[in-house]
Amino acid sequence: MEFFRKTLDPVFALAAIAVLDIFLFLLLGAWTVGGGETMMTGLLAQAVLGEDLMRIPFWNIVFRPHADYWKIYISFGMFFGAFVGAVLSKEFYWRVPRRASEWLMITLGGLLMGFGIRLAYICNVSTFFGLLPEMNLGGYLAMSGILAGAWVGSVIYKKILEG
Amino acid sequence: MTPVVECLVAFLFGSVVGLLMQRSRFCNTAALRDAIMFKTYRNTKAMLMAMMILTVGFTGFMSLGAGHPMRFDVGLNTFAGLFLFGIGMVLAGACTVSTWVKTGEGNLGTLWALLFTFVGMFLFSLVWSWNWWPPAPQSMTGEPNLPALQLGFANAQTLQEKLGVPALVFGLVQFAVLLALYRAILRRERAQHEKHAQHQKEASETA
Repeated sequence: MEFFRKTLDPVFALAAIAVLDIFLFLLLGAWTVGGGETMMTGLLAQAVLGEDLMRIPFWNIVFRPHADYWKIYISFGMFFGAFVGAVLSKEFYWRVPRRASEWLMITLGGLLMGFGIRLAYICNVSTFFGLLPEMNLGGYLAMSGILAGAWVGSVIYKKILEG
Repeated sequence: MTPVVECLVAFLFGSVVGLLMQRSRFCNTAALRDAIMFKTYRNTKAMLMAMMILTVGFTGFMSLGAGHPMRFDVGLNTFAGLFLFGIGMVLAGACTVSTWVKTGEGNLGTLWALLFTFVGMFLFSLVWSWNWWPPAPQSMTGEPNLPALQLGFANAQTLQEKLGVPALVFGLVQFAVLLALYRAILRRERAQHEKHAQHQKEASETA
């Protein structure tokens, strides 16, 4: 099939996603990522710590772990859809970063993303595809933050790349 | 809708998004990073296109009182959180969406980033349990709360309620701004393209 041979124009892909997102907005709420991941973190922590997790107020008050939280399944869906797309277009192969500096950047980057999402209650997806189109005040705050952060990140990234 | 149906709808939406992302190589991190670092706009244009459609769609339905807009108080934590997130996504080379999409393509580096996103979230849960900031959803009032560095809640719908002007009107203003930005990028790309073509012509003439 042509679809699995040629790279799709991202402008077309994102226009299609936007139309679907409007349907999701009407049914459940705008496309969001981060809430699902927090719930996964809570469920994983509960699997390890058991009822002791409830002694950490955050998990008792802000995010009570429960598996039937719809946002989790958006993320599983994205993984599944990408996997199917990669297999059908013969683009699936194991990719492993080689250099130690890459692993360090990925580890730090992951930690900062996780911490930042919870501090702000949102991530980049909700910022650009949820809050800003709803013209939520938080969208403009979040956009200023992410642009400043991406700029600082780019400076650090260049420094590390240039060694 | 029962929770099971909600989860199924979410899974279906996510699957289509994942497929389209994988086939188009769209990446939200690249949309910001490439514009800042390399002055290339392939992903930035796609992001703006989605935002234009969504702004009109969301504010249009919000004018009618339909849809489920996000509702929570925002404040300094919104800026600070996304600032940390912005640094993190450039270092990791992926945002939360592309970590899932690239993991689906077999990238173990992004799987690692995802695991540490979970670790970062757990660390935050410990910090929150110690200082209780930002306020939990239960104690959000929607009004500014300056001691807690919170500005409250406002969106196109609250503007409509306060000013009596349909939310869509504000949406159309934002749409116009986004469109102007989109067209500025197209002009810039054309200029880059012409410059490139001229360089090539000069190079072939001297050869």
